[in-house]
Amino acid sequence: MNGVIARITFRQLLSRRRTILLLLLGGIMVLVAIALRVSLDEVYLQQYAAALLNNFGVATLMPLVALLFGTGAIGSELEDGTAVYLLAKPVNRWTVLLTKLLVACAASIAITCVPVFIAGLVVDGGLSDGLVIGFTIATAIGSVVYSAVFVALSLVTSRALVFGLGYVLIWEGLLSGLFAGTRTFSIRQQTLALADTFFDLPADVFQAQLGLTPAVIVGGVILVGAIVLAGRRLATIEIAGESV
Amino acid sequence: MTAAQAPAPDATAIELASTSRWYGNVVAVNDISFRLDRGITGLLGPNGAGKSTILHMLAGFLAPSSGSVSVAGGPARGRTEMYRSVGLVPEREAVYPFLSAREFVRANAQLQGIGPDRLEAAVAAAIARVELEDAQDRPIGTYSKGMRQRAKVAAALVHDPPILLLDEPFNGMDPRQRLHMMDLLRAMADEGRTILFSSHILEEVERLAEQVLVIVAGRLAASGDFREIRRLMTDRPHTFTVRSSDDRALGAALLAEPSIAGVSLDDGKLTVRSSDFGAFSRAIGGVARRARISLYELLPTDESLESVFSYLVAR
Repeated sequence: MNGVIARITFRQLLSRRRTILLLLLGGIMVLVAIALRVSLDEVYLQQYAAALLNNFGVATLMPLVALLFGTGAIGSELEDGTAVYLLAKPVNRWTVLLTKLLVACAASIAITCVPVFIAGLVVDGGLSDGLVIGFTIATAIGSVVYSAVFVALSLVTSRALVFGLGYVLIWEGLLSGLFAGTRTFSIRQQTLALADTFFDLPADVFQAQLGLTPAVIVGGVILVGAIVLAGRRLATIEIAGESV
Repeated sequence: MTAAQAPAPDATAIELASTSRWYGNVVAVNDISFRLDRGITGLLGPNGAGKSTILHMLAGFLAPSSGSVSVAGGPARGRTEMYRSVGLVPEREAVYPFLSAREFVRANAQLQGIGPDRLEAAVAAAIARVELEDAQDRPIGTYSKGMRQRAKVAAALVHDPPILLLDEPFNGMDPRQRLHMMDLLRAMADEGRTILFSSHILEEVERLAEQVLVIVAGRLAASGDFREIRRLMTDRPHTFTVRSSDDRALGAALLAEPSIAGVSLDDGKLTVRSSDFGAFSRAIGGVARRARISLYELLPTDESLESVFSYLVAR
């Protein structure tokens, strides 16, 4: 962990216009939660709280936030050329990577989990059933895995945003709905499996489609694999001038 | 010395040994060798000649495809400790726009491992050196190109490195800023540093560099003392097209001049080749007057920097 790199990365990530857009997205989720709360009958609230956190929080907000912060942490710096100021220094490249990753994770967790917690609390009305806590903790862990994957992706390709969006929309959105096998490799499904362990609710309220064991094992492998890949890429990265 | 030897305190600062670098089928740097020690060296060549690739290899950002690149007594790549001895001013303009120059220079100093006891003094000295005190607390995003360039230089020299690499450092500077930067680099070279800068502008290199490496199409076309290279460039055959009241007669008259290497008349266009630019330019007026021929136009056919460079390569 390097304090100077962390501070610069934080300012870089948070000074962008897209941070405001992501905050707005979280705000919309809270507004939807308020609308549900005032318009719905009491008996449906728990079910709708689960549906909102699942479809809006886990399926949309979490991957989008991690995608923008993960690809923005190193990738955009490599693109605009400022990365040389960090890399032409007697600082271990693993330190650079882990610092950037930690900052991306922290920013993603803050922008994802706070709206998830507030929106869940508004609709569900309390914490006693474990639903809100479960989703908040699960999205925090899911944000870490997503961030690591997107940081690694930004070190592998300059089109990380496109490929990341493709993974979220096509693999997780489309294929894992159609083919059960693809769910194992879906960070969204792993997050839901994790959330499901915090509460015991009837299947018509919420039911994860992936077991906890495969979720933890595959999620852990993805996380470690992404970090190792990213570290090796950064250690041997080549930077060419503008005109080669 | 070779890269395999142990680093010595007075090891050659910079050395390329039969270094090539290609991207796929494109050869960017073709079998270049040189070694540099103290003083200012200009890396001169047209755009796209491979100057940037050479500097990026020296900065450890590109691996040579063959040959070796060593800086400060060891290989340039995969050795982050090397950066303690190297200050780098990249060509690309982008600097964290939200930082002020002082914050930017301080961040660079901290990343170089300068301790808190010396930090503020080192930052202030670097900023004073580039004369950026007045603007040091403004965000770099509000700077002009020249000011930004100075902020980059301050960041590169804050840890007092013995080696400075600068990629097109005068780009975007106005003449006054350019002079100031030249004075600064000269002073730093006088302190015993090894400074290598790239430029595609002959005059910049001429005014600043003690030594020159001319790079054309990835090859080292010439190297050595600047005056020597300048002489080669001036003495190369110059070609002119001439329009006059009587091209045929003028051509015949010019052939008698010792400074003329050849005359040809194609499609009614008189082309004159001169081996001595100075003597030819003094002689032509007199020749025309004596032959009672009016000169309408005298045009050098190819004076571009590229043609000068390609002459040096073909030589």
